[in-house]
Order: sequence, then C-alpha cells, then structure tokens
Amino acid sequence: MLEIRSARKVFYKGQADEKTALDGLDLRLGTGEFGVVIGSNGAGKSSMLNAISGALVLDTGQIIINGDDVTATPVHKRAMRLARVFQDPMRGTAASMTVAENMLLAELRSNKRTLRRGLNATRLGSYKERLSLLGLGLENRLDTRVELLSGGQRQSLSLIMAVGGSPELLLLDEHTAALDPRTADIVMQATIRAVEALKLTTLMVTHNMQHAVDYGHKVIMLDAGRVRLEIDGKDKAQTTVPDLIGHFSVKTDRMFLAS
Amino acid sequence: MDILQNTIASFISLIPVTLAQSLILAFVVLGIMIPFRMLSFPDLTSEGAFPLGGCVCGVLMAAGMSPLTAIAIALLAGFVAGCCTAFIHLRFRIHTLLAGILMMTMLYSINLRIMGRSNLSVFGAPTVFDWAPGLQPGFPASKIVVAGLIALVVFFLLYHFFRTEKGTAVRAVGANPDMAEAQGINVWLATIGGVGLAGAFSAGSGALMVQSQGFADVNMGLGILINGLAALMIGEAIVGKQSVLRQLAAPFVGAIVYYQLVSFCLAAGMPPPDLKLATGLFVLAMLALPSLKRSRGPAPARETVRE
Repeated sequence: MLEIRSARKVFYKGQADEKTALDGLDLRLGTGEFGVVIGSNGAGKSSMLNAISGALVLDTGQIIINGDDVTATPVHKRAMRLARVFQDPMRGTAASMTVAENMLLAELRSNKRTLRRGLNATRLGSYKERLSLLGLGLENRLDTRVELLSGGQRQSLSLIMAVGGSPELLLLDEHTAALDPRTADIVMQATIRAVEALKLTTLMVTHNMQHAVDYGHKVIMLDAGRVRLEIDGKDKAQTTVPDLIGHFSVKTDRMFLAS
Repeated sequence: MDILQNTIASFISLIPVTLAQSLILAFVVLGIMIPFRMLSFPDLTSEGAFPLGGCVCGVLMAAGMSPLTAIAIALLAGFVAGCCTAFIHLRFRIHTLLAGILMMTMLYSINLRIMGRSNLSVFGAPTVFDWAPGLQPGFPASKIVVAGLIALVVFFLLYHFFRTEKGTAVRAVGANPDMAEAQGINVWLATIGGVGLAGAFSAGSGALMVQSQGFADVNMGLGILINGLAALMIGEAIVGKQSVLRQLAAPFVGAIVYYQLVSFCLAAGMPPPDLKLATGLFVLAMLALPSLKRSRGPAPARETVRE
C-alpha cells in the first residue's frame, strides 16, 4: 500500500521563477491496486514519482509504503521496496554492462550483496527463462552489452528487471512514450501481464488516454500539484477517452493525437 | 651502423631494470584505471598519492620499521587521500578533475610535512625485495620477482572482486549512477571506496618505488599521471577493454610496454627533457583517434527523448 500525505514541494523558493510542483498532494493506493496517473505537463506527475522514489526531497508531507514512513529514507534504501521503469530506456539500464549483469543488479536490489560470484549457472538459467517470456530473443543475448540493444529491447529488459523479485511498489514513468507504436504495444502488454500475474501495487504515469481508459483499477488526474480527480470502480469501467480529455483544464492537440 | 648497434645494445642491457621499474609503476596505472574506467571518475589524485606513499614509507623505514608495515601504512594513507577526493566531489559537487587537482596540491605540502625535508635517503635499510628466494638482493631480478608476484596476486584478487555481487555493483555505479541508485546501490559508498582503493594502489606503488631506489623525494610524482595514462592507453590498445579481464590486464601490459618504449627512446639518444612532450603528444593522439576516425565535424549530438 502506498500513501502520500499532504506532500508539498516548491522549487526556486523566494525567487522570481518560484514554482510549486506539489501543493498538498494526497494519494492512497491499496495493495495490489493499479493506478494510472494522467495530467498535463507541469501538473506534478514526475515530481510525485520522484518524491515516492526518494529522488526528490519533500518540503513537507509524508510518503508511506506498506505502513512504514519512508519520507527520510534515501533512494538506494527505498529501492529495496520499490522498482521503477524510466521513460528514457538509457536511464534504467547500465549500457556498458551485459544483459545478464543488468539482470543480476536488479535481482540484488532487495538483497544484501555478498563477495560471492555474481553470475552463476543457476542465475543465468533463471534469467534465460524470465527473458524468454518477452519473446524478443533476449534470452540468447545474455552476454551482449545493453548499449547494442534497440530502445524497445532495452525498455523490455528494464521492465523484466523491475518486476523481478515482486517489488512492494512498481513505478512506471511514461515507460512506453519513447518507443514506436508497435514496440510500445509489446512493452505495454508485457507490463499488464506481469502486473496482473504478480498482483503488483503499481503507479503508471501516462499521456496516452487510451491506456488510462483500458488499464488499471483507478485513474488519478493531477493538476497544479494536487489530485484533481479520481475515478475508480464502476465509473472507471465506463469512462471514455473524450470524458478524460474533458477534465483537462488546458487541452492540447497532443492528447488527441496520442489517443 | 655503429649508432644502431649501440642503441640496441644499451636498450637490451636496460631491459631488466626497466622491467622491474615498470612492474612497480603498474600499480599507479591500476590506480588511474580503476576510477577512470570502472567508476567513470577521471581522477588526478595519483599524482599526489604516489609521492605520499613514498614519503610515508621512507619516513617509516628511516625510523626502523619493517618494510612490510611501512608499505601497509603507505597504502592506508593513499586510501584516505583517495577517499578525500571522492568525498570532495560528492559532497560539494566539485568536478572530479578539480577535486583531484585540489587534493594533489594539498598533498604536496602534506608530503613535505611528513618528511620534514624534500628528500630522504633510506639506502641500505631492509626492503621487501630482500626476501626474493635464492636471489641476490638489490639486483633487478629480485625486484622483478617480488613486484611481479604482488602484481599477480593483486590482479587475481581484483578480477575475482569485480565479478562478485559487490564488484558488479561497483561497476554499475560507473556505468550509470542513476540506475545504480535505483537498484539499491549506495553510490557514495561505492565511489568513495573505489577511488580510495585506487589511491591505495598509487601510494603502494610509491612505497615500492622508494624501497627499490633507496630514497624518497617529494617531487617523485611529477608527471607520473601522464606516464600512467600513456601506459593505460597502450595497454588498452593491446589487450582491449571489452571485458573485466581485459580491462584489468591493460594497466599491467601497458606499463610493461610503455616503459620499454621509453627506455628505447632514451637509448636511441632522445634528450630526457623532451620525454614529457612526447608522452603528452602520444596520449593526446590516442585520445583524439576515435573522434578523428568518426568524422571531421563536431561530435554528434546526443539523442534525447522528448520532454
């Protein structure tokens, strides 16, 4: 379970270009719940994800994961409980290391790292099996450096790395936005399969209104650093793309184009 | 023909001495490679850590301490120096190179303080090279054996370490610090520990050098960095850097080849003052080669993702 309590963050405080990124944001996401976050640019979506992962330190407010207050916990300690897939495929993987080494790093996210050999036969076998689920042939390229993979392959790898070990919370930060439509679809389908199979508590940020309508238990719309609208249950099932767009205060062509 | 024969004859006679020297200096090259390649932390500390190790070792030997203890304390001093550089960079967000320059400048005064004068003779004091089995102490052969053995042990220990779970995490910090942090790796700890380890190797090299040459000098680190870089470039050109094994072998191979090349140039009559210019030009050429190969235009813009 994830809880955000009156989170507040102001950038450039006291300067001419002061900007309130989070303005007393409250959010609750139950265990096993899949929330989709929408909102126009600057609404605070990225700030919220960064605050949850620990990359952004809040001015005031609390972040609570499964009952534990993690507001003061640094990024690398929070990583034991949450996994994140970034929008940029370059950010989520170590380019100069091999596919297998990246998988190892992800596996050790929630474990203590020892002085034993990292890549052993058992591990390589299990990585092969997990990667084969994607159907991209990555299971045969365990020794390939990640920089030689395509953007879609890298993002798929990031996803497999993130869902492995069943994190308490999965953060997806527009993780299909940088991919071509076909690859985006493959990555999205793999995401849904994994989230449903492992019953992961998930928060997905997207600009794609169709995705917001199709997936998840709950749509959360952010505006000016706070939650403007929450749609869940039966209402969520009946929501359509034009409905969602109607809630945006500023409409841009991009939303229509993206849906 | 005479000149050629003389050159070759003096070069060959110098091979053992040069080999001993290069095996000792291989540890500085290692101390340059680890931050530079494994941590993406271009570091200049070695220019100060090398004489630091030498000065600490020299003073302790002059005080009658055993050569092994002297080396151990020199390693510790170098480790602390490396940790300081990494800390300055991380805490104050000062560029790694500037942090290194600050550290090496400050170390110059510290080294002088440690020795109390600019040089110190420890000639005749017992050294680790005396322990080479069945060889007469003080000759290149004993130095080659002892330094070579240490190099082998260090090489295998590092090779094992960088493939363990902890070692893989350290390499991830160099490859992508954001990703490493998101995977639960403590970037500060890995960076400080890694650069500290490199500082320890540089200082260890300085300590061995003092025991080998019989004196310590505050200026012994002058230009060691550019020599080390040149050696690293040569090593990487010969054995490559695609895998952990190759990347770790590069400093050792590079040091051995580089110092033989230098020795050959000197034997051929190159004036010693020109050596730094030649080395600098060589490093520049090696660093510039990839961009010359690519195209004549400026470096290509990095691909970015919208928003």
